[in-house]
Amino acid sequence: MKTFRGFLVFSSIAVLAASIFLPSGAAAQDTTTNSSGKSEQWIHVRVESKEDHGETVRVNVPVEMAAKVLPAINKSNLHDGKVHIDSMHTNDVDLRAILDAVRSSRDGEYVTVQGNDNDVRVAKSAGYLYIHVTDKSDGKKTVAKDGKTGAKAGAGHESKVEIKVPMKVVDALFSAGKDELDIVAALKALSAHGDTELVTVKDDQNTVRIWVDSKNVAD
Amino acid sequence: MLILAKAALGLGATMAMAGVYVFHEGVIRVDVDEHRTGGSHVHFWVPATIVATGMHFVPKDQLNHTTQEMRPFLPALREVAKELEKYPNVELVDVTDARDHVRVAMVEGKLRIDAVSGDGDVVHVSVPARVLRDVADELEIDNR
Repeated sequence: MKTFRGFLVFSSIAVLAASIFLPSGAAAQDTTTNSSGKSEQWIHVRVESKEDHGETVRVNVPVEMAAKVLPAINKSNLHDGKVHIDSMHTNDVDLRAILDAVRSSRDGEYVTVQGNDNDVRVAKSAGYLYIHVTDKSDGKKTVAKDGKTGAKAGAGHESKVEIKVPMKVVDALFSAGKDELDIVAALKALSAHGDTELVTVKDDQNTVRIWVDSKNVAD
Repeated sequence: MLILAKAALGLGATMAMAGVYVFHEGVIRVDVDEHRTGGSHVHFWVPATIVATGMHFVPKDQLNHTTQEMRPFLPALREVAKELEKYPNVELVDVTDARDHVRVAMVEGKLRIDAVSGDGDVVHVSVPARVLRDVADELEIDNR
């Protein structure tokens, strides 16, 4: 009987100890389940090489996490989640003025350049800013190297960059003030915006995709 | 006999409580296997609590040197660790090529880093996210 009582006391102490120390872990699990249950946004980056056994890179980062971690990094041009750019005037082009103009303008195609080396298209439509760049120079080099290779072969070596950014994100990005980009504000705007494809780069060697959705794994 | 039994009971209960306390933050696991001649094979498990507690006993001058170097990144490390605790099971980074595979993921609340090289070398590290935060906190306190 005494042995049983001793066992009972021992068990009670062990259970008490477990209940004191284990709940922190259990509570953490519950919290994470709850927080991951809500539809929060994730930034996905996928780089795929087209070569045989080529490299594949997949990165998945919660937008909320990035928005909280960035302000904690204060190094070089990055401070408080803002990137300081020494001069927004690149080659005498005032980027801020251009973006202000685009922001306040109606939907439409603003820039269309069709050159021998590049095609560039900048447009605004349905609350999105589109930037499409096709670099044909790689194709030309290949054609030149191949000598009499036809133009169709060259077209296969184009690099295409397609960027699609919600205007609200652009607004947030430039909300910090002169010569600064507010990355955290942009991330928050991105998170509030919902699923969207941000960047697609395609060339003959690699495919790069950056997109935002509510899944915590890449497709 | 009865006193002996009570003493054994007390000792057992204390050990049980100590065991629960020591392991309540989980276990840090490191596995390294180098599949070449003379390659090292390291396998160890350490209760996570020991790391945070053990930092109190590291010589201050040694710790100061480390914290000075890490200083700009400590707030970021703490934020990352704090945020990671919210995502117990997610894949963060996966890099694969013809030879190597590196994966960084959260698995059951632990930050898990797996690296497998084409030579057969294997590294697995598993650290509870809570420990990362504790370490960052400790280093920041020492840095003040």
